[in-house]
Amino acid sequence: MKRVDLYFSTKLTFDDYVHNHSFALRVIPPETECQNLLSCSLNIQPYVRTDQTIDAFGNNVTAGYLSGEHRFLDFEIKGTAEVDQTKFRTDYMPCYLYQSQYTKPGVSLNAFYSEVKGKCAGSPSERAEALCNALSDVMCYEKGATDITTTAEQAFVLKKGVCQDFSHILISLLRMDGIAARYIAGLAFCDGETHSWVEFWTGDHWEGIDPANNCPVNNDYIVISQGRDFRDCAIDRGVMFGKYTRQLQLVRSILT
Amino acid sequence: MGTISLEHSDRLYWLGRYTERFFTTLKALGNLYDSMLEEKHGYQDYLDCFGLADTYSDSREFIRSFLFDMQNPNSAAYSLERAYDNGIVLREEISTSSLSFLQMAKDTLSKARQSDNIRMSLLPLEDTLYSFWGCINEHIFDDEIRNIIYIGKTVERLDLYIRLKYPFAQVEKEFIRLCKNLNRVPKGTPYRYSTKYLSTLVEILGTESNYQNESLQATAALAHLFEPAEVSL
Amino acid sequence: MVQFQERQFMQAVGNAGEINELLRRYGVKFGIYKNGVFHEQFFPFDPIPRVISAVDFASIEKGLVQRVNALNEFLFDIYHEKHIVHDGVIPEDFIYISKGYLAECEGITPKNKIYSHISGIDLVQAKDGEWYILEDNLRIPSGASYPLIARELTRIAAPQAFKENKIVDNRGYAELLKETMEYANCGGIRAILTPGRYNAAYFEHSYLAELTGSVLVQNDELFVEDNILYHRTYSGGKTRIGVLYRRISDEYLDPLTFLPESLIGIPNLMEAYRSGNVGIVNAPGNGVADDKGIYYFVPKMIKYYLGEEPILKNAPTYLPFYEEDRQYVMDKLEKLVIKDVSEAGGYGVVFGSDLTKDKLEGFRKTIAAEPRRFIAQEVIDFLDLPIVDNGETVMRKADLRAFVLSGEKTKVWASGLTRFSRNPDSFVVNSSQGGGFKDTWVLSR
Repeated sequence: MKRVDLYFSTKLTFDDYVHNHSFALRVIPPETECQNLLSCSLNIQPYVRTDQTIDAFGNNVTAGYLSGEHRFLDFEIKGTAEVDQTKFRTDYMPCYLYQSQYTKPGVSLNAFYSEVKGKCAGSPSERAEALCNALSDVMCYEKGATDITTTAEQAFVLKKGVCQDFSHILISLLRMDGIAARYIAGLAFCDGETHSWVEFWTGDHWEGIDPANNCPVNNDYIVISQGRDFRDCAIDRGVMFGKYTRQLQLVRSILT
Repeated sequence: MGTISLEHSDRLYWLGRYTERFFTTLKALGNLYDSMLEEKHGYQDYLDCFGLADTYSDSREFIRSFLFDMQNPNSAAYSLERAYDNGIVLREEISTSSLSFLQMAKDTLSKARQSDNIRMSLLPLEDTLYSFWGCINEHIFDDEIRNIIYIGKTVERLDLYIRLKYPFAQVEKEFIRLCKNLNRVPKGTPYRYSTKYLSTLVEILGTESNYQNESLQATAALAHLFEPAEVSL
Repeated sequence: MVQFQERQFMQAVGNAGEINELLRRYGVKFGIYKNGVFHEQFFPFDPIPRVISAVDFASIEKGLVQRVNALNEFLFDIYHEKHIVHDGVIPEDFIYISKGYLAECEGITPKNKIYSHISGIDLVQAKDGEWYILEDNLRIPSGASYPLIARELTRIAAPQAFKENKIVDNRGYAELLKETMEYANCGGIRAILTPGRYNAAYFEHSYLAELTGSVLVQNDELFVEDNILYHRTYSGGKTRIGVLYRRISDEYLDPLTFLPESLIGIPNLMEAYRSGNVGIVNAPGNGVADDKGIYYFVPKMIKYYLGEEPILKNAPTYLPFYEEDRQYVMDKLEKLVIKDVSEAGGYGVVFGSDLTKDKLEGFRKTIAAEPRRFIAQEVIDFLDLPIVDNGETVMRKADLRAFVLSGEKTKVWASGLTRFSRNPDSFVVNSSQGGGFKDTWVLSR
């Protein structure tokens, strides 16, 4: 068990005034068997009333509506949590066994899987480790080569990507191998932005694995949201009206 | 029901305007046709009222274009089509019956195109249009909704009467009608008039001599009275 | 029976011109895109009604209520405990590969546990008189407005037919729909959400709004604030919406939950819905139950959830997914009708008898590669119905879309939309493919 302080902030700045802005944030970490929130506060500017719901994947959703003109939306969470990865999460959903929008394999991922599946044997943990190793051998961590719309197949063709791409590819491989897997968005040490990793189903609980760093997940990781892929875990989604709605996003996170 | 969106309120306003534009155009063309029986090329007066150039080879071509040509934005057919466009999205406010009269008017107009005696075959349109207005009156329970259509109707009629240089007595009557309609508009809604332009209108339409001399200013003030954007298609 | 139909036919035909005139006048239209251009077409109406006897209807009614009740139980089960999968009645794959299954809807319980408030069940009658279910439509089945207005008009044009026969009045549909919407209402006004005037079924949206006294709305008039759905009024105020009969598909409903690029959705509608602050008719996620692949399992659902024998039969169906069915499908492909489970509106339906030898072979390969994508059915020997074509009576294929409304009780509308194919060689009756419609008379004795 480890006690950590978490801080995460996002600043959205628009090129011009916007209005009738609906948003849904997935930023408040869920309470799970492995993480206990001792305190957590969410601060949003400009002032707006919000409502909390929990979505189908168990994420905390903060929904709000800003009708008046505004040029920015800032939000930050501050809190303290106890993390204990020796405990097990068991919130299984069958949809995690099936490929989703970002993870659907194409020709190259299918070919890669056929190549490496011979090395996959044993328990789900052993197979996950083998797939993660195989992936680390061919993929190169590089910022700027991909963006948030890049699918597992596209990133795999490039052989480059960031944590989001590594996660999508590993999820795709695990699902091809018949192992249920889900995407995790969260905070980790030594990372100034949000991080993402993967959980796979061992048969009776979830086990975390970080494909971008090719290591298991320990008490230095805090889960913010989970889902089939990035689409279910977007930190913020919004719809707004205005002449120019292009936005600049600044993200900062600290885990100590 | 008691809830109406901005989009629908605009549609109601333009339904009133285009239906009236159709009807007044039809009547004005009827009068013109009648007076042209003796005089040749009388239709230029009509074009002058709207500042339009004469591109027609004869009065027959002019009449056919202003009645039936969907490409001519000043034609009766064009106005009716726009009235229908606005009406079709207002079925639950104005009722299927009201809408059916616009459909009938469309059918009558397109049949008249093939007729040997156009004026004769257009006669039933008068019945249809009066039925439409009767139906609107009958079916719309909410005075606020009905009033928006009537404001559109009266604004349009006043505008055309001024442009077509109708006698002062007739224009004055329509202006009083418009003021009555405007008085019924609740505060804080888009069809609340601009007081500045209303007082301009009061001044110009207050005396016959002002009306004769300043009709252009009057139509300009009328155009600015609400300045609601026309709902694009 | 046949004699009876002939007599009705003579009576109604005498007034065909008048009815069509009236239909034109009331603007009974549907929109269609041809080569990218929008056209409004009058839905071809045939004056000869389909007549269903009271005895026949009673049995259809019982069967439909049973089927829709089971489908509603299934939807609740799938989005909660999934007993039917755990008990091995339906293989897991069929649920989770289905495009209609929406994981985003997991755990949501709509008011009164009703998912399919308005179900459109397509049936055909075979030559031997037996009725078969062709397809369930539990998302946004359309078409009820056409027989509704046609009846209103035929009663004017052919009064004697209604005087001499005991025909159940179908004009209660509006009241039935209103009741159904009210039962799903979470507090507020009733609204019908349309994608707009250029939607194929716009006439229906606006006509049903008028008849049920609902507000017809588009997405830009709506917003979610404090987890409540509001209608934005022209004076700058807001009116709470308690139930939304939406006529847009699931994936476009809420850009913050489903397709982010949707321009016709309402952001955060799903949060308001999940919180129980607004009813959505029909519930999002219903596509998992009317999937062509799930169709095969509906009779099993009826036994599983209700412990009853199915009253109405499915058309004999094979799933290439199952080894033994696949063999049969491969052997008899030229005699079967193959349906692509991901297509709707009469698209993706192929008759084996229409294919050349090469094409049959190609199709066998496609099926072998993606067995889950297809179902195969025996071609039912339809009972053709008479229609008037240029003054002549000809026989054409027709189906029946029955409307089942689930409120406090599950009720079957004593009418329905009979669609027919105008092409003598075609089995496809969809309006988007040039079909026409008839009124459906249910006799009260």
